[in-house]
Amino acid sequence: MSENDTTTDGHETATDGGQEAAADGSGIVAPDDETPTWSERKERTQGLSQLTYEYFERARREDQDLRTESDYVERDVLAFPVWPHEMIRNLALTSFFTGMIIFLSAALPPHIGAPANPSQTPAVILPDWYLYWSFGLLKLGPLNPELSLLGGKKLMADRTYGVVANLVVVGFIAIVPFLNKGAARRPVEQPFWAAVGVFGVIFAATISALSVKNLVPMDSHLLFDLTFLLPFVGGFLTYAVLKSMREGYMFELNRRYYRLRPPK
Amino acid sequence: MSLERKDEHDHEGWMKERDLTPVETVYLTTLMWLDKRLRIVDYLELLEDLYYKINMQMPKSHTEQYNLDNKFWYWYPLYALGSFSTIAYVVAAISGALLGFYYSPATTGDPSAAYNSITFIMTDLRFGFFLRSLHRWSAQVMVAAVFLHMLRVYFTGAYKEPRELNWIIGIVLISLTMVFGYTGYLLPWDQLAFWAGQIGVEMALSVPLAGEWVAQLLFGGFTLSQSTLQRMYILHVFFLPFITTALIAIHVGIVWMQGIAEPH
Repeated sequence: MSENDTTTDGHETATDGGQEAAADGSGIVAPDDETPTWSERKERTQGLSQLTYEYFERARREDQDLRTESDYVERDVLAFPVWPHEMIRNLALTSFFTGMIIFLSAALPPHIGAPANPSQTPAVILPDWYLYWSFGLLKLGPLNPELSLLGGKKLMADRTYGVVANLVVVGFIAIVPFLNKGAARRPVEQPFWAAVGVFGVIFAATISALSVKNLVPMDSHLLFDLTFLLPFVGGFLTYAVLKSMREGYMFELNRRYYRLRPPK
Repeated sequence: MSLERKDEHDHEGWMKERDLTPVETVYLTTLMWLDKRLRIVDYLELLEDLYYKINMQMPKSHTEQYNLDNKFWYWYPLYALGSFSTIAYVVAAISGALLGFYYSPATTGDPSAAYNSITFIMTDLRFGFFLRSLHRWSAQVMVAAVFLHMLRVYFTGAYKEPRELNWIIGIVLISLTMVFGYTGYLLPWDQLAFWAGQIGVEMALSVPLAGEWVAQLLFGGFTLSQSTLQRMYILHVFFLPFITTALIAIHVGIVWMQGIAEPH
């Protein structure tokens, strides 16, 4: 625009608002220096948009500061870049697994059972395997406490208890990031949360086994007890092992870290 | 020198003096034609801005800084599980759309029209068994991959600080995957499907306070009927695909912006 300004300076009265300017629209220029720039317009806004703008400015400044004071080699993104590094690796791996899906579906076509018959309940009723855990949680009746406060009655029906148990499990998993904070990443750095994870995995397996207790060749009371015992055993073992590994492991890790980046 | 006015907006004159190849000429002419009508440059500016934002200069990643690739490479297949479940989802979507050409969600007749259409696909339709098999296996594999993906994220602590939101989206996605599986499981309307549906209705009725309402909404009544099958079908082929695809896009978009949480 600056070139245009200098050329039209001489006969400004002719181009500014004149008929010649209207012909092709090329004479449309900012009338004077008072026209606000876009950033000035943003600055002039009020209220929440003003706050947003100020925060963005701060955030940008913060980024700048972090970048200037960093002694790292500069690169594109903070974490491992999705493109191309992760993507290429994934394409190689996923094409292999897609081949596996096609092979499986050619070799093992699904079964169709007898047609639906509301008057005849089959001996085995099952959802797909990935819902066994949820199906198993419906069978927690024996754990539903009979409260003496209510005269030996249960607070809610067994099946309601089962549905609520589903919500509790999913809800707990959802809030994990807000319970476990901090920079620790490896299981050895956080034995407790690793133990919680192992507890969860084993519980998912045992509760699935409980859901198909008719088909498991084991006394159903024993199975019920094991369902809740095995996860705790697994969790405690994990905790014990990781806790005892921790010191040596962290020593190695720190030594490696400080050797690469000696303290100032 | 002609009397015709030549300013910076004389694009044709500019093109003539540039001595362009035919490809460039066609490209520029098309671009100008579109730009004159749609003012694409404004959007190109946005894109350019976006480009510089996603390629923001940030410090070197942890793995690169400490040259940890040699230590972690054998974990990388686990980092492909998210991609793998997305691929399985795409395969299931394509094969499912093809299956939809032959399937009818009706309980009329004995055995029902739905059951008959599945039988037709499995026995008479050319490659029908493979199509259904592919759909089923990719669904199974997707659920398995999603579950393992969640375990990988948990045990590498990848849900921590900037990524809590994505963890919660992930919880929603794994639940949606299971609902996908459940609604699909009911569609063949065989004995297993019917009685799994029965359990679903009972679970819905057991939800505290809103139980009957939920059963009406999802299953179209307290006993299984035509409306149950139809609702499951519409959930499976209309609602869930839209919601899940959108959430996957957001999930992957956030991963793209934040980068992969790498092992520490």
